[in-house]
Amino acid sequence: MDQEEAPKPPRRMTRFSASTSTSDIVHATKGNNLETRTMNDLLVGGDSISLDDIIASFPGRSSQILEIARLLGPLNSPVLPLFMYGGASTGKTSIILQLFRHLNRPIVYSSCRTCYNQRILFESVLNQLLLHRKNVANAYTNAKRCERPSDFVNFLREALTSVISNLKEKSDKLVSGNKIHGGMGNIIYLVFDNFHLVRDWDKSSTILPLLFNLYDMLKMPEVSLIFISGTSPDTFYSNMGYVEPIPIYFPDYTEGDIRQILLRNQANQKLFSSFLDVALRPFCRITRQVGELSTALKPLFEKYCEPLSDKGKGVVPTEDMKRRLFNHIKPHIASSLNDVFKVSSPPASKVKVGKETKHKGSPKRSERFEEIGDLDFHMSTSAKYLLISSFLASRNPATLDASLFDSKGGSDNRKRKRKASEKVLEKKEILEEELLMKGPGTFPLERLIAIFQCIVSVAEEPYDEEEPNNNELGAECSNGSLISDVLLQLSSLCNANFIFKGKSCPIEGSTRYRSTISENLALKVARSLKFPLSKYLYRN
Amino acid sequence: MAASSPSNSSLQPLSTAENDLQPFFVLHKASHHGKDRTSAGQGKPRKRNKLSLRSPQSANNPEGSSAEECDPHLCQKTQIEAFDIVWAKIESTIKDVLRDLNASVFNNIQQWVMECFNTTRLVGEPSIAEATRSFPVLNNTTPLKVYSALVITRNIEFVDDIMTFEELGLFLKSHGCHVAMLSSMEFSLKNGIAGCLKALLREFLGSSFDPSDIQTLASWYREQDNYNKPLVLMINDLERCCGSVLTEFILMLSEWVVKVPIILIFGVATTVDAPRNIFPSHALECLCPSMFMLVTPAERMDAIVEAVFIKHCTTFNIGHKVAQLLRNYFINQDGTITSFIRALKVACLLHFSTEPLSLIQGRVIVEDEVRNSGLSPETMLKYLEELPSYARNEEVDQTKKSMAEGLSELLTVQKLWSTVVLCLYEAGKYSGVRLLDLFCEALNQVLYPSRDSVCSKRDEKDHGLSSTNDPCQQYSIMQSGGSICQIVRKVRDLPSGKLDQLIESWEELTVDISEIHEKLKILQSSVRCKDGKSSRRNSKDISKRGVSKGSIHNDKDSRMSNLHAIAFLDDLVRNYLRPIEGIPFHEIFCFKNVEKLQLVLIGDPRRRIQVDLLEFHNILHCSCCNKSGKALLPSMHDSSIMYSLAQEHGDLINLHDWFQSFRTIVLQHTNKRKQKPKQTPLPKKRKDMSGSEDQNDASIQARFCRGVTELQITGLVRMPSKRRPDFVQRIAFGI
Repeated sequence: MDQEEAPKPPRRMTRFSASTSTSDIVHATKGNNLETRTMNDLLVGGDSISLDDIIASFPGRSSQILEIARLLGPLNSPVLPLFMYGGASTGKTSIILQLFRHLNRPIVYSSCRTCYNQRILFESVLNQLLLHRKNVANAYTNAKRCERPSDFVNFLREALTSVISNLKEKSDKLVSGNKIHGGMGNIIYLVFDNFHLVRDWDKSSTILPLLFNLYDMLKMPEVSLIFISGTSPDTFYSNMGYVEPIPIYFPDYTEGDIRQILLRNQANQKLFSSFLDVALRPFCRITRQVGELSTALKPLFEKYCEPLSDKGKGVVPTEDMKRRLFNHIKPHIASSLNDVFKVSSPPASKVKVGKETKHKGSPKRSERFEEIGDLDFHMSTSAKYLLISSFLASRNPATLDASLFDSKGGSDNRKRKRKASEKVLEKKEILEEELLMKGPGTFPLERLIAIFQCIVSVAEEPYDEEEPNNNELGAECSNGSLISDVLLQLSSLCNANFIFKGKSCPIEGSTRYRSTISENLALKVARSLKFPLSKYLYRN
Repeated sequence: MAASSPSNSSLQPLSTAENDLQPFFVLHKASHHGKDRTSAGQGKPRKRNKLSLRSPQSANNPEGSSAEECDPHLCQKTQIEAFDIVWAKIESTIKDVLRDLNASVFNNIQQWVMECFNTTRLVGEPSIAEATRSFPVLNNTTPLKVYSALVITRNIEFVDDIMTFEELGLFLKSHGCHVAMLSSMEFSLKNGIAGCLKALLREFLGSSFDPSDIQTLASWYREQDNYNKPLVLMINDLERCCGSVLTEFILMLSEWVVKVPIILIFGVATTVDAPRNIFPSHALECLCPSMFMLVTPAERMDAIVEAVFIKHCTTFNIGHKVAQLLRNYFINQDGTITSFIRALKVACLLHFSTEPLSLIQGRVIVEDEVRNSGLSPETMLKYLEELPSYARNEEVDQTKKSMAEGLSELLTVQKLWSTVVLCLYEAGKYSGVRLLDLFCEALNQVLYPSRDSVCSKRDEKDHGLSSTNDPCQQYSIMQSGGSICQIVRKVRDLPSGKLDQLIESWEELTVDISEIHEKLKILQSSVRCKDGKSSRRNSKDISKRGVSKGSIHNDKDSRMSNLHAIAFLDDLVRNYLRPIEGIPFHEIFCFKNVEKLQLVLIGDPRRRIQVDLLEFHNILHCSCCNKSGKALLPSMHDSSIMYSLAQEHGDLINLHDWFQSFRTIVLQHTNKRKQKPKQTPLPKKRKDMSGSEDQNDASIQARFCRGVTELQITGLVRMPSKRRPDFVQRIAFGI
């Protein structure tokens, strides 16, 4: 999101000519926190930046930047509320901050993500306006305690008047001191970022109109409001009769824009561009978000550079090399499209991970077979059986239970079914499809336990034959105890997110469960028990 | 219909002494006994209970009666003392083992934390003014990510890892990190993001703040040199956290990542995919994950078994059946080390409370400290005479001297046993045999004589190596099946390099035991001379490139040395792998009472509830109902009466019938008439009743309702459904 090219010193101590002395003090007295905030803390700070630089650093955003700059107008011109909106990582926050850095005007910024309820939002705004800083001395308290909207409006008015008079004084001084350029002006801008989150708050029905109405309520031309939201203004408005903020839309980047953005900060531009030629198109079909794309493409680019010596630094790719690299990367693209989350591991356990990535790298079919290997975490035998029975209960229709788990065995029934007419078969197919579309079904506890009992009783017979020297007591124990603590096992399976438990009265017993595990995991578990899962699955 | 009477009688002996250990009691009217029963939960309260248990028990068994001759209180006291000593020793051993197992992972994590911390500092440290401002720091690099470690605990049950994470926290703290520990409780939907921020501030800053926001944390971190240390946040059970709250939290952290570089450590119980299932993609994007693996529970278990039962086998040991029970409980049911340790503790406690001679054990451990307290040698001898194995063994002289000899022999035999098990385990590492299985097999007394007989047969038959087709088949250990057989089979196919390694490790294990060590020396020398030959041949082969002949020879040679190794193992198993239960005096060290342990371990609460309801007088000990036998009396507890009546119904109970029969029984005493519970009430009887009938009826109905509710709460019946409003459903059948 923060795409800005102007080089900056690592510590921006000299943010503002007038504040040099104070920030030096800030640095010196870090230990005892006695320093207070000044008006300069309301500035974004940093070296001044020209409008052209901003436009250059945000490809494809020039119209929005110019529009906002026009709306903000020259120094001291009052502005109607602005409403900036657009998808995630389209540069909204960065642009507004860079613009204020360019304009050098005071802002009060609060993100509705950090300020997760109205009280914290109010107090955060007031803290900034009153130049309050939390520290040990004040026991990290806020400047004002403010919970109710009405209090907020009053406090806000108070704070704003004092700040604005302060600002006016300052600008008057500057005017008298012949320094017309570089003044902060006397308008203060309140920025509310991540504004769409407010809708999810408890009292959003009161807080939303309040914030939208703030401009009207305060009746102060020196205050300007800027809302930054992920969703369009239509998702907020209800006809309440306040001044509608001016909407500014940030559309998603085009592929060309994304290409430009990704190309910045790259050491070897040419190599990366040839990489993007290959990889960007398939990824762009899935997402246009710069953040997601850059995280997804980074490991892929490393892979791309693998055949090159010194990891592709300073190499100018030729046509031949590009072709070679393309062939190298081709099998990896498809698999990494699904790999949003890549876990690296420290060098100590790299051996194992190396193996895993090998699996992932291999073509799809073999991967499927190899991955049904071992279960790499511990589960007790009865939990495993329970998991399998929940999987079966979710996948199989309840009407088939009797034929599958009957003591006579399902073979007779199946034969009869095979003779059924084509129409019935068609119907069955439709039903099957429907099942697939619906996903795992829900089941009551009784059904789960019934299936569990059937499975355990079936599965334990061969188990005993296999290990005849397991003496009587051992077998007896395993027999009896597999069934005894089922509810405990069930709750631990629920905790592990393997079984989803619907909400209902627990005493009535009408709670319904749903197994959420993938077939792959179920097969793994079944294999570790040597349980013929596919025999019991309806689909197969 | 479940017949109540036969099951009642069969369970009677079972439930007499053990009632005090059961955590479930339905009959809350029994207030005079209730107090100490409710405390019969786990661990320490149980110990106290045990004390009170002693007196009724000692009346039953012969050892106890002799114990009563000397001061029982003194006896109990010394027993508890001995238990404390032994258990403290076992516990500390287990702790050390677990710590050693985790050490390397902890070091890795700590290194990783420092690396992450250093990279975040490279980006540039914002000043205090910048860090406490509300808007994000503008920087020109790509957005920073939240470093997060996924510590895979590899056990679906989480209990074991609470301790692990606590220790990890302490470890990181001692290495200069700010550590906060949050659990899934803080990430619940109910408390929302405010709850987890509050907990976070409490952990880092030490006190809670009313509107807790992350800005407070930022201010705190940037002052008083706090920023020199990394901030580590541990969430030890990722799967249980509420996904949406955690997502919000991570997004918030990622907004502040430059100012407050928190490093996250997640405990993941199942697979690496777990975060993918919990978080949406925009939260995943903020994380920069690394993976760390803890040791599997099975490995931990093996390490504990090795340390507790095999290396320190003379402290406290368990019989074969107990081992089997514990193993099955671990594999089939619970799968946590915690419950294994608890079971062990219970076993230890039971051992000391029931086995009077177990006192010696504590004495063996701290020979000097306890010497002059406790029982005199004479009483000890008395106990000894009563030991069954002592009585069986007639050759043993009834003197102190022979007793001492017997004890020392027990110790040496045990030492040999443990060495053999360790040797087998060392070999078993190549075939992935779990020590727990091996341990159970090595304790099995049934297998021991069979080994003997098989090998004697072999001796009669032949002793040449080449007489049978497969020379290995003649070794008895190959035929027994089970894990020892598996190990030996693997040894047969072991390549020579690994075999050498194995023999070397054997050498280390047997250094102290001269008997075995000598045999090993012989084995070594025979293998070595073969090796010498083959290596010479090898070098020739390489020079000549005449492959086929040489390799065959080579194969044969290595096969011979494998056979020698098998012969060595066979010899060990035959001569030294004597299960503890076959040795005189083993009762001192060995706990064998599997039924008792099973009862304590696997509570089987629903069955207990039923038994308690049907046989309430075992608990209440009231005079009124005691003599009645099976007949239902009005003085009984309502729930008991109702449950006994319910036994006569099928899976559906007609409420009206049930009420009527209940009413009849309750009203019996006003009629002064005995009545069998099975008889359905006749309308005639109502006419006999007195004038206060209405009032009575109301109160009886109320009692009935309460009884039904109680049975429902205990999970024995289900309330009427809409479809059949006058029937309750029975859920529990049989006992």
